[in-house]
Parts: sequence; structure tokens; C-alpha cells
Amino acid sequence: MTVLNVAEQGLKYLFACLNLYTENCAFPMLYFAALIFLCVRGNEEERRLFLPGAVVMLLTIYNPVSPVILMHFFDVNSEYYRFFWITPVIVLVPYVSARLILMQETGKGKAVFAILLALLFVLSGNFLYANGYERAENGYKMPAELIEISGIIHADADDVYSKAFLEYDYNMQMRQYDPKILLTIDREDYMNANQYDYSPEMLEDEDHPQYRILAALVRFQDVEPGKFAEALEKTHTEYVVLNKAHPMLSYLSEAGLRQIGETGERVVYKYDLAEPYHFELVDYSVVY
Amino acid sequence: MMPVLTVIIGVIANFIIYLAFGSLLTKNKNGEIQLALALPVGFFAYYSLFFFVCIPVMKWFRPLSLLTAIWVPIVAVIVLVSLILNGRALYEKGRELFARIRKDPLTALLLVAIVAVQIFIVTTSYNFTLDASYYVAGVATNVDTNMINVYDPFTGAWQDHFEMRYFFATYPVSDAVVCQLTHIPALVQTKSIMASVVILLTNLVYYLIAGLLFEGKERARVLMLAFMLFMNLMFITIYTPSLFLFTRTYEGKAIVGNLSIITILYFFILLVKDKKPRMYWLLLFLVCFGSTTVSSTANMLIPAELSILFLPDMLMKKRFRELIPYALCILPGILLALTFVAYVKGKFVFYTYPVW
Repeated sequence: MTVLNVAEQGLKYLFACLNLYTENCAFPMLYFAALIFLCVRGNEEERRLFLPGAVVMLLTIYNPVSPVILMHFFDVNSEYYRFFWITPVIVLVPYVSARLILMQETGKGKAVFAILLALLFVLSGNFLYANGYERAENGYKMPAELIEISGIIHADADDVYSKAFLEYDYNMQMRQYDPKILLTIDREDYMNANQYDYSPEMLEDEDHPQYRILAALVRFQDVEPGKFAEALEKTHTEYVVLNKAHPMLSYLSEAGLRQIGETGERVVYKYDLAEPYHFELVDYSVVY
Repeated sequence: MMPVLTVIIGVIANFIIYLAFGSLLTKNKNGEIQLALALPVGFFAYYSLFFFVCIPVMKWFRPLSLLTAIWVPIVAVIVLVSLILNGRALYEKGRELFARIRKDPLTALLLVAIVAVQIFIVTTSYNFTLDASYYVAGVATNVDTNMINVYDPFTGAWQDHFEMRYFFATYPVSDAVVCQLTHIPALVQTKSIMASVVILLTNLVYYLIAGLLFEGKERARVLMLAFMLFMNLMFITIYTPSLFLFTRTYEGKAIVGNLSIITILYFFILLVKDKKPRMYWLLLFLVCFGSTTVSSTANMLIPAELSILFLPDMLMKKRFRELIPYALCILPGILLALTFVAYVKGKFVFYTYPVW
């Protein structure tokens, strides 16, 4: 929950955290209802199993003071929600549901109750595939086009390892499939580029030439093509892969890149490095 | 080999190994093995032991192939010893299981259907998840470079020091060992084989919990399991363990948030019901320690869960002697959390090269 901050929001943090955790899911309410059921109709053992833990959780992880205290020792801003995982919602609610069904005396009563409970679950939750189910295109569970792009780069490259700039989704996925493709941009830089523009000072920063690449291709900021090419040279980036609809394709040509291949939706460009770059693994055999 | 066949063989091989580890630990004085319990316990025992072999090899930046060469014979010997010692008992348990299935095939069929739906979901769906760019790419990078966590999974660049957040969570390194040994691609190992293993084990523990809550009522157990599936499918926000279970199953976090948490709950129920406390505390320790080797998330979650569940019960029953095994169970998580705090405060750093 990177959008939240304990220090800034103080006690409101917990409620904001809970709000993000559950969204419009009413399962915590169902958990609460299941606890009430155990108080009223549960046997002694059931109460011993589920009630003391619920009380302690209320006093600890659901206590607004807890994240504030914890923050003094650990940075829990983005991870406090994981304490909610301890709440045995996934065990208690189905258990009480099954108990309620079994309490019905007739088969018809059981069936009606089961349907009602199922309906309650549907209405109070968010379905995993509410936005549709996307089937993986292959056994790797990667876009087929990404695999194709990897092939295009290796077919063209002179070296075993090649460095590439890819659009966000492919940048995050390429090395899962092909670790021989090195990436110009790491995760943090890419995530920042998705949110913020680059200042003139950053664009002049010789220690971080990748900012110029991100500024031009992600933020669409004005970067002189020569400066862009220089950034490719400094970062040893030989390949740039963009969507065919990307607005900066002609800019790449201006910067001296040439198209070497294409797939259904993407174009692979090559930048000819003035000084060829050869990536070698560190030789650890000399360590001992 | 067809990917489906690779996944099936991979899952079976994992289960044989976990069963071998688990049956050595869950065998009682009468020579009986608790088959269903042996699997999750074996899973955590496997990763606990792997931790002790992996850390020295990684810390002194030796190649992954050395780790593979050490680890494979260890596993082979344990499986062999377990088969020799427990082969007969496992065979009897297997026969019992088949007799139960034959007696009530409909229940067995329903159970298979509940689990099959989940395996279908995790193995066939496409999910773009950001953290895979570390965890899955980390496995692929380790195999490709034949080193352990020395190269940055995000970019492939050499790192001058180990990232301590992940240093003690050696679960993905085990995937790298398997990939190196079998040449199974990292994506298939993490996103299909291990994802299926986690789904199966999680449902197995659900089944065990339902068994304790509905003692002797098999159909009620299945009904509860069906509701658990239904609830997992519906309890979806980007933060819930249900989402992690179905879309980020390859991550250690998903294992801790689902399998570890409910396995601890299972042991809590057993211990509250006063069933063989001493043996179960030992197994619980393995689950807790094993969880910390799966993901650093366990370092805060496991001590918290143990405290929330066990402390009130000990207080109510005035069984203060149980404070000792409880303290031992929370110790690994607390120690690793403190180690990480020391690293963040700059007290130490593990370089990926010798510092003389």
C-alpha cells in the first residue's frame, strides 16, 4: 500500500488501509457475523478456537495505535495490510456456512440455504474474473509476441547478451523468459517514469543517461535526438522495441536507429553502438 | 516434452519428495504415518533443510551448480531412507486411501473437482504481475549465470552486494536448482509446477482443518471446502491472500499468506484439542522456520499469528510451560527481522566478492 503513510496519516492510516484492503468486499462483515453466530449458537470448543483470537486481533492488528507503534521499529507503510491475512476469514465463514446448511432438517431446506448463502457470497464479493479471464497463450504464460521479439533480437545480435529498451509490460516480463536480454531500465526507474516528468537537470545528468531515454519514450518530453542517441551509447542499448502505434517511431529514425524486424503489434529498432559492448559474466573461479 | 506432462511429472516428483521428508517426521510410535499431514510438513521441512545448504554456498559466492551437486544427493538419500523405513507404512496408507475412495467415490470426485478448478486457473490464466520481474526473473537469472543472487534479476547487471530483503528467503533458489537439474524453464517451474503444488497443499490443509471441525462428517468437509473455494474466488482485491493464491502463486508471499497461515491455524486447532502436544509443537516449529525461508513476509506474520492464536489459549488454560515451544517457534522470524533491521541501519552488508 505505497499510497499510504503511517507517519502522515496517523490513526486514519488503519482505516484507510482497511478500506483499500477490502474495497467493496463485505467478507469482513461476514466474518463478524460468523463470530456472532459462534457466540450465540456455537459450542464451547468452537468459541475457544475462534473467539479469543478475534478479540486479540481487535486489540492488536485492528487497533489504530499498532501501525503507529510498529512504524518506530519497521517501515510498514506498504505492508501493514499483510497482518490482516491472519484473520481466518477463509476458514470461519465457510465453516459457519456449512454448519448453517447442516442445521436445516430437510434436503430441500439445505438446498435453499446453500443457494442463499452462495448468492450472499456473490453479492458481497469481487469475482476473480470480474474483468474477464485471459488465457495464457503458451506454456510459458508469456505473450507469444514477446517470445518472437526475443528471437528477433538474438538472430540479429553478434553477442550472447544484448541490451534492450522495451515498453513497460515487456520490460517487466522479458527477463522471466529470456535472461540473456539485459535491460537498460530497472523497475524503480520505470515506475518513476510512469508518474513523473524529468527536470532539465535530470536530463543533463551524465551519471543517469537512462533518464533521457525514459523522458523521450515514456514521458514524450523534448529530448534532442543526438542527446538521445548518446544516452543509448552510454547505456550500451542496442535494441529499442516499441508498439507500432507509439508516437515516437519517427523520432527513433531521426536519432539514427533502424528497423530490423517487426511482430504483429511491435517494431524492433537497432542502434549501432559506436563502441561495441561485450557483456561478460564475472569470473568467480579466480576468487578462491 | 509437452508442458502439461512436464507439469504433472514435476508436481508428482515434488509430492514424492515432500512425502519422504514428511513421513520421517510424522511417523508415530506405532509406526503409523499421517499421510495428509506428512505432505505440508514435508514441504516446510524440505525448505528448512535447503536453507542451511543454500546460505553458505550463496554467501561465499560459489556457483549454483555446486549447490545442485550438494543438494541433489542429500534429497536422494532422504527419499531412499524414507522409502526403506516407511515404504511399508506408506503402502498401507495408500491402500487405505484407495479403499476410502472406493467406498465413497462421489466425495472423492467432488474433492478432485474443487482442486482441479483451482489448478486450471493458476496454470492456464495469464496474469501480468510486477513482482514476477524479480522472483521469476531471479530464478531464470540464477540458472543462466550459474550463480546465486549475484546478478540483478530486473536488468541482469552484476550487484556488488546481496539484497538482504531476499537473502534468507531461499525458496526461489530451490526452483533454480530444479531448473538447472531438469532444464525445465523457470517460467514453467514457478508459474505452473510450483503454483499447482501450492494449490494442492493449501487445499489439503483446508481439508485437514475441515476434518477437525467436522469430525467424521465427510460430506460436511467437502461442503466447507466448496465454500472455501467459492470464497477465495470472490474475496478479491489487490491485497487479499485469495488474489495472491490465484494470480501470484509463484511468490513466497502467496505461500506464507495462504499455506503457512492456515497450517499454523491447523496446528492451533490440534493443540487446543489436546492431540499429542509435544510432537505437534516440533512439527509446528518446522512450519514456522520453513515459512521464514520461503518469504521474508513470514518474519513479521508468523510471530504475530502465533501470538494471536496461542497466547490467549495458554493464558486461559494456564499452560505456561507451552511458552517455551511458542518462543522457539517465533524465534526464527524475530531473528531474521532483526537481522534485516540491522542491515537497513547499515550495521552490516554481505558483498558479492571477497573483502580482505
